[in-house]
Amino acid sequence: SMRLGDNFTACDTHPLDYPTVQAVVRFGEMLTERSGGKFGLSMYAGGQLGNERDTLEITSFGGIDFNRVNLAPLNSIEPLTTVAALPFIFESTQHMRSTLDGPIGEEILASLEQHNLIGLCFYDSGARSFYNTRGPIRTPEDMKGLKLRVPGSDLFVAMVKSLGADAVPMPLDEVYQSLAQGVIDGAENNWPSFEQGRHFEVARFYSLTRHLLAPEVFVMSKQSWDKLSPEEQAIVRQSAKDSVPIMRQLWDAQVARSQEVIMASGVEVNEVDPAAFTDRMKGMWAEFITTPDQRRLVDAILANRQGG
Amino acid sequence: MQRISTMLINLAALGLIAMTAVIGWQVFGRFVLDSSPSWSEQTALLLMVWYVFFAAAAGVWERFHIRIEILEHRMQAANVRKLRIAIHALIALLSLAIAVYGGMLAWLVHDNVIPSLGLSRSWAYVPLMLAGALMVLFSLGRIHKRWTEKT
Amino acid sequence: MEILVLFAVLFLLLALGVPVAFALFGAALAVFAVIDIPLIVAVQRMAAGISIFTLMAIPFFIFAGDLMYRAGIADRLVRVADAAFGRVRGGLGLVDVGASMMFGAVSGSAIASASAIGSTMVPLMDEKGYDRDYSVNVTVTAAVVGLLIPPSHNMIIYAAASGIGVSIGDLFLAGIVPGLLTGFMLMVTAWLVARKRNLPTGTFPGWRAFFRALVYAIPGVMTGVIIMGGILSGIFTATESSAIAVIYTVLVGALVYRSLGLKGFFEAAQKSVRTASMVLFIIAAATAFGFALALLEVPAELAALIGLMTDNPILTLLIINVMLLVLGTFMDMAPLIVICTPIFLPVAMATGVDPVHFGIILMLNLGIGLVTPPVGSVLFVGSAVGNIAIPELVRTIWPFYLTLIAALVLVTFWPDLSLALPRAFPA
Ligand code: NA
Ligand code: NA
Repeated sequence: SMRLGDNFTACDTHPLDYPTVQAVVRFGEMLTERSGGKFGLSMYAGGQLGNERDTLEITSFGGIDFNRVNLAPLNSIEPLTTVAALPFIFESTQHMRSTLDGPIGEEILASLEQHNLIGLCFYDSGARSFYNTRGPIRTPEDMKGLKLRVPGSDLFVAMVKSLGADAVPMPLDEVYQSLAQGVIDGAENNWPSFEQGRHFEVARFYSLTRHLLAPEVFVMSKQSWDKLSPEEQAIVRQSAKDSVPIMRQLWDAQVARSQEVIMASGVEVNEVDPAAFTDRMKGMWAEFITTPDQRRLVDAILANRQGG
Repeated sequence: MQRISTMLINLAALGLIAMTAVIGWQVFGRFVLDSSPSWSEQTALLLMVWYVFFAAAAGVWERFHIRIEILEHRMQAANVRKLRIAIHALIALLSLAIAVYGGMLAWLVHDNVIPSLGLSRSWAYVPLMLAGALMVLFSLGRIHKRWTEKT
Repeated sequence: MEILVLFAVLFLLLALGVPVAFALFGAALAVFAVIDIPLIVAVQRMAAGISIFTLMAIPFFIFAGDLMYRAGIADRLVRVADAAFGRVRGGLGLVDVGASMMFGAVSGSAIASASAIGSTMVPLMDEKGYDRDYSVNVTVTAAVVGLLIPPSHNMIIYAAASGIGVSIGDLFLAGIVPGLLTGFMLMVTAWLVARKRNLPTGTFPGWRAFFRALVYAIPGVMTGVIIMGGILSGIFTATESSAIAVIYTVLVGALVYRSLGLKGFFEAAQKSVRTASMVLFIIAAATAFGFALALLEVPAELAALIGLMTDNPILTLLIINVMLLVLGTFMDMAPLIVICTPIFLPVAMATGVDPVHFGIILMLNLGIGLVTPPVGSVLFVGSAVGNIAIPELVRTIWPFYLTLIAALVLVTFWPDLSLALPRAFPA
């Protein structure tokens, strides 16, 4: 079942030095070690095998063994994943990590198996916030009339519209140019992406709305999984689990580095009171949370908040 | 065959015109109305896949696909005929793969949705299935034409 | 071993005369079978390969170019160039280059440029007693200049393929000087060849006629102004500008020149989907092929190979240029951009080459590929427009090839030629 010199294949759209990629590379090393050298892993980083939606499909067909994707492409496949992608559902990174490390996270990962994907673990994606070329966003009123780029996802479009801005779906590679020339006024992302896409060079206001703490997901092809013995499957699961703290450490370090670069460049960063933003999310939550299972998970996540 | 091929080109031309309108509307919505249509990008992409594969299928009949003809220039007429039959047999075989796997793709992803359109992802792969089948038909048609012509 | 299968199947199918798209797809299927990847993935990559927003610039600019021809914009640009250069020996050759440069500045596609200017110029040159091979040679090589002069859909594809957010605005600015230079060099060659062949001379129609032609051409020339202005002022993105070019041309043709009816409009759409599907179908298949290349780590191995040979930037660019020129003879431009950018750009950047400069080198290099047999779509267009066989065409084209290669050498080893403008006007 092994191909390309007895190696598993893994892919990621981020470059080789990105925390998610490095975590999967470490996962592969653990796999090699714990299988007594039977398994290897070839990492195809930087999107050489295609974008997340496409490689995810290929993974479900058995054409790629491992894949690290954002939650967004999974939303089009499995409704349960949508709960973790709701804006403002997690109050903090701590809340997100503790929720996804527990039974709620287990249930979401398990829901992927019917789509021929084995959900192995969640990685961090940090908090996404808005940046723009016009001025600081402190309240939703400040967003009125802004043209804000979103990924091509219904959830993002609905969120930005609920906040009163114009949601402009646009591929990521057109964003820098569009910001520079004024086609759009802003976009939203986490610290590392804001820095690595160089968007901070043109969008000089970063407002910490932290609207999304949706995680990354590390999945395996079910076809490849089914070829493994139960012992080997256990090794895969344990190695994936053990790669999570490594990833989080790499992630936190990356965030610190990116934050430093952005702050040093003189970008104006401001905090916001999330309450005013959260209030506007009620309608869109209702629009996207439609099944009893989704509601149950949402309630469980909210119950898991520090404040109760 | 010629009628089917012409119909495909006409449909494809309409697709191109529709795509122009969609992107024009996208610019107008964003710049003039301050309200970007959320469906335009995915609609335009879907249109492009459909019309490109339809026109590409017609291209098998009209034989406008780029190819290298060095070998033919060095052959005698009788052999050129055999070679062209062989080429179209290969095209038929490869097109069959496009049709079959295109159909399988459409089936496998029928539960997935295209974001911002709410349509099934199958719509992105159905054109490959159809175009693949049409390419098989057209290449067989070409073989038939070569086969029956006088030498 | 698997790499051998990939290229053996590709070359075998190409040599037999199987269309390029099917050959690429067939080679991908063969390798997938060998390395145990489900064959369905190859077809998925085909669909995914053209579900890319930036690729829309290809059908749009081809459509715009064909509409410009039918609306009479190409014809009016030719008249301006004729008033300016017509009196020189072989003046229509210079007119051809000049009109191609102007048309290149309003249309984003070399194929559209060759077909529009060729359809206008070749009959005109026939009438005045020019050799057919000469007029088509000038037309096809001058169309390459349109790749460098903005807008250019190939630059948009390059920016997307780079994966590092190379600025399309910078690329557009960077192409202007190399484009003008290449155009000027081709004019000199056209003049020298015309003198040698003793081709006819026209007469200068006078300044009045010149300005008259200029005024009539203004609505057409405005396409370029609107495209560049719209992009730079943030009204639309570079990709969207291609659709705007179509809409503007329709408006000018229908309302200003009143030369474009519903019938002409639909015929242009029919013609354009043929050309666009031919190009995009190859890109789709090239994406399946590219997946196999990536899995077999061909880009990394090739990069390592070049790294082993040299770490000198000049030699690296020389090696890359030679490889691209060879590839360009038997493959078309857009799929080569999609396949080669991720391979060669990191190698070039590692030796300190600017990605914008590299983009211009790539445009000119692969542009030469468009006019070299066996696979060159602009050459095919020229052969069709001029009704002249390709072997007959290329027998006398070598002075023009040499000119383009000389321009490529200049562009490659003189980075400021490309980079001075984008540096002077930062985004
Ligand atoms: Na151009
Ligand atoms: Na060529």
